[in-house]
Amino acid sequence: MGLEKQENDLIIDQGAGFVMTSIDRLANWARTGSLWPMTFGLACCAIEMMHSGAARYDMDRFGVIFRPSPRQADVMIVAGTLVNKMAPALRKVYDQMAEPKWVISMGSCANGGGYYHDSYAVVRGCDQIIPVDIYVPGCPPTAEALLNGIIELQRKIKNKN
Amino acid sequence: MVNNKYEQLNDLIDQYLNSFEIVKTNDGTNITLELKKDDLIEICSLLKNTDALNFSMLIDVCGVDYLHYGIGDWETTKATASGYSRAVQQNTIIPDPDEKYQEKRFAVIYHLLSIDKNWRIRLKTFTGSENPPIVQSVTGIWNSADWFEREAFDLFGIYFDGHPDLRRILTDYGFIGHPFRKDFPLAGNLEVFHDDLEQKVKYRPVSITTRPTVPKVIRKKKNS
Repeated sequence: MGLEKQENDLIIDQGAGFVMTSIDRLANWARTGSLWPMTFGLACCAIEMMHSGAARYDMDRFGVIFRPSPRQADVMIVAGTLVNKMAPALRKVYDQMAEPKWVISMGSCANGGGYYHDSYAVVRGCDQIIPVDIYVPGCPPTAEALLNGIIELQRKIKNKN
Repeated sequence: MVNNKYEQLNDLIDQYLNSFEIVKTNDGTNITLELKKDDLIEICSLLKNTDALNFSMLIDVCGVDYLHYGIGDWETTKATASGYSRAVQQNTIIPDPDEKYQEKRFAVIYHLLSIDKNWRIRLKTFTGSENPPIVQSVTGIWNSADWFEREAFDLFGIYFDGHPDLRRILTDYGFIGHPFRKDFPLAGNLEVFHDDLEQKVKYRPVSITTRPTVPKVIRKKKNS
């Protein structure tokens, strides 16, 4: 904050700025290492999400631990078809999450309605309801794809500030 | 072996239901009875309470809308600039209370199982031209009919007389229309979005138009 990115030795000369940038980097590093997702499993994508959380792909390796409560979570994985009836609930859960928070939209349905795009009951993309950071394509995306999405999100957080 | 069992059931049906006006189709393993809706309750309780038949379990209740039965999406003579007439047709949003239906538009289908005898039967009844379509509820005979009938009511707008709690079960709160009716637009009437200024999830008219979702299949005519 306050200082633009400069050469390290220059920042050292200016004192306070060095500390601030380092705290941001430190915070970002901490955040990337402990992304706790709010599980919002809505359909078959949730099964793939479970796979990426289970022994074979093991998201714990990235500090990703599923939380059952939005208060303890800082990333929401929208895994599956979001229907009109569920939309207010999704928004409520998103609003209950503490800042900073991110959203991963997983699969075609959450990205843009997917197979159910023409349906009378389906939201055409969960970005109609909540802001989305990472879109993971696929129907459903494989566990690797979701893992890649999480790594991409980590990269995005790391590059912030 | 299987056939013997169903021949036996066939005979029993003939024996016990001969006083009713029913149309029976039997393909060897499946017996379907098409019955008048006024006879429904009587026939259902007879099927359940007769020891020889013993249909103790109701597997499913479902509605059918025969409005476009046998008409393909692409079989139309009228093509418009924006697509084929049937597919892009703008449909009524709210069911017209004065509309009279064709006699064989809505049907209700019941699947029964006898756990004791290990046989099944299918009952089918048309609701007639009444608006709203209405049949007697079978919740008094099988408790499991409760949610099935609510579902048929929700999706087809078929009313079940005598149902203890006939309200919508699947569609959104405040939903208007019955989405499984063939004249309901596939894309619906409303879509949800989040209003960032008001911080609320709100409804607005749909932003997409219904398009044909059935792929067009071109086959060579047999004679050419």
